[in-house]
Amino acid sequence: MAEAVLEKVNDPFADNPLVVDMQSITKRFGTVEALRGVDFQVRKGEVRALMGDNGAGKSTLIKVLTGVHTPTTGQIVFDGENVQINSPADARALGIETCYQDLALIPLMSIWRNFFLGRELTTDIGPIKWLRRKEMAVQCRESLKDIGIHIRSAEEKVGKMSGGERQSIAIGRAIHFGAKLLILDEPTSALSVKETGKVLDYIRAARDRGLPVIFITHNVNHIYEVSDSYTIIRQGKSVGTYLKGELTQQDIADLITGAREK
Amino acid sequence: MEKVTLRVRLLRLFENSAIAGPLITLIAIYVLSWLFVPNFATWRTLSGIITAVSISGIVTIGITILMISGEFDLSLAPMIAMSGYLFGSVSVGADNLIVNTLSSWGLPATVGQGNIPFAIFLGLGVPALMGLVNGLILIWTNIPSFIVTLGTRQIYRGLVWIVAGAELLQVLDEPFVYQVLNGKMEGLNDYIRTNLIGPEVRDRVNFRYATLWLIGLVTIYQTLLVRTKFGNHLFAIGGNEGAARTQGVRSARARVTGFVISGMLAGFAGMVQFSQFKSVRVAEQTGIELTAIAGAVVGGALLNGGYGSVWGALVGVLLISVLRSSVILLKIPFVPADNFPAIVGVTIIASVIFNNWLRNRSTS
Repeated sequence: MAEAVLEKVNDPFADNPLVVDMQSITKRFGTVEALRGVDFQVRKGEVRALMGDNGAGKSTLIKVLTGVHTPTTGQIVFDGENVQINSPADARALGIETCYQDLALIPLMSIWRNFFLGRELTTDIGPIKWLRRKEMAVQCRESLKDIGIHIRSAEEKVGKMSGGERQSIAIGRAIHFGAKLLILDEPTSALSVKETGKVLDYIRAARDRGLPVIFITHNVNHIYEVSDSYTIIRQGKSVGTYLKGELTQQDIADLITGAREK
Repeated sequence: MEKVTLRVRLLRLFENSAIAGPLITLIAIYVLSWLFVPNFATWRTLSGIITAVSISGIVTIGITILMISGEFDLSLAPMIAMSGYLFGSVSVGADNLIVNTLSSWGLPATVGQGNIPFAIFLGLGVPALMGLVNGLILIWTNIPSFIVTLGTRQIYRGLVWIVAGAELLQVLDEPFVYQVLNGKMEGLNDYIRTNLIGPEVRDRVNFRYATLWLIGLVTIYQTLLVRTKFGNHLFAIGGNEGAARTQGVRSARARVTGFVISGMLAGFAGMVQFSQFKSVRVAEQTGIELTAIAGAVVGGALLNGGYGSVWGALVGVLLISVLRSSVILLKIPFVPADNFPAIVGVTIIASVIFNNWLRNRSTS
């Protein structure tokens, strides 16, 4: 079965503790079975790509992990503890940060306001939560610099930035807020080749900090560049998890489409 | 570092501030009117414009807050009327349906005896409640607020009709609170009359306290929007609700709060208005929502949310009011006083085009 593959080869992360351990997850929407007993594990320090065709169930699986959907059956162990993730807020509280493809930032707001949105630094005067604006602007700039993202000014509006710059700010934000797990939903789908390269660099920067990354994608090339391993989902089931270099690109494409069984 | 020229600095100002464009337009139109419109350059016109703006300005603050969060409220006029009836009746103890009913419920309203604190409580509280109902319908049904409030606008008008007993309310007494809310600023008016106008010139001046309330409220709410977490969340919800929610912003709560605030401000406007005219009718201020929306948009707010400022909206209503006065004073054939909205319409479109042009220039 799927997990057997991971164990029999030489896995550099095999000794690391499990961060995510999703066990026989099923999810039913009415009569549609979107997930049919998926096991999915990610260890500390690895970049895992999650692949699958449209409608294969990869987004549903991630939404179960980020609290957008609750699983019909199955359980989730996160960081060694059995958890119930009922809302995106629950997921964030656990340290699961997600960068959604089109739901990451607010174009009309400045970089620092986006960066701290929902986690503003405030001085409380009775019921009034006064923003510590200077402090947030400085912290935002500094922490983006730490990850290698240079911005002109934290006051600049996000709408003026390129897709790659936006994506990197969203990733930088997730790293800054001490995520234990970073999930990227199609982070490169709308980017130019050059910008994609940058985003992949930030993913490496996250890994270098020991932050595990799950990265949903269609693009086989990106997996080859940045991920340590990949899980392929098809028709609501996990086809398998493979280490980088174990399969050729053609193998991967065949497994995604189901042209060939493993 | 790049060299920052004056031109770049000016462009940055436009880019970072929603108010710069409308302010330029206002100054330009004001100067043009001052130069070319007969009788415009008088204290009477200036104080008239400012007093008129004071009441619509208070309503516009609320509309702007809602528009920033991507919402509208078309039911503010009945809230103004409701507040006028409740505040007016209870503040003097009028012998009418309102006071009689309240006292029969054992509430502190007595015929012939004003109860100022209770009048203020009702004048602010009931419209706030009406705003709350709008907000709750919105989040429970997910119907756009434009439609929800188009409905409640009629319902609330009906409620006011019932509460008012379908009658005009007029009072003769003048409790001190009316002075505080919107009395004449006699000191200032006298000073201007004696020192700036002089006895030989035929001019009058009439500044009122509502202007001070407006300036205070504009300052408070602009600060609330830009400097507090709540304000930050309103911009975020209007800008991209989905993104705001994924970052843990409690969208429903913030939006409902916006409706309560705008209801309360409409209530305050109703009290200020009643203090000036000492009368209120069921159809009071019908259509003021659209003027307020126009003001907010002229002042740089975006119709689909996420952008705008209370300062800008104030400039917007001022601009509309200046134009109204100019058009009336110009006595253009076919555009008598009653037909000035035609000119205002042109200006709204023109100034939004100008704002967009400025913004695009400064962002590229």
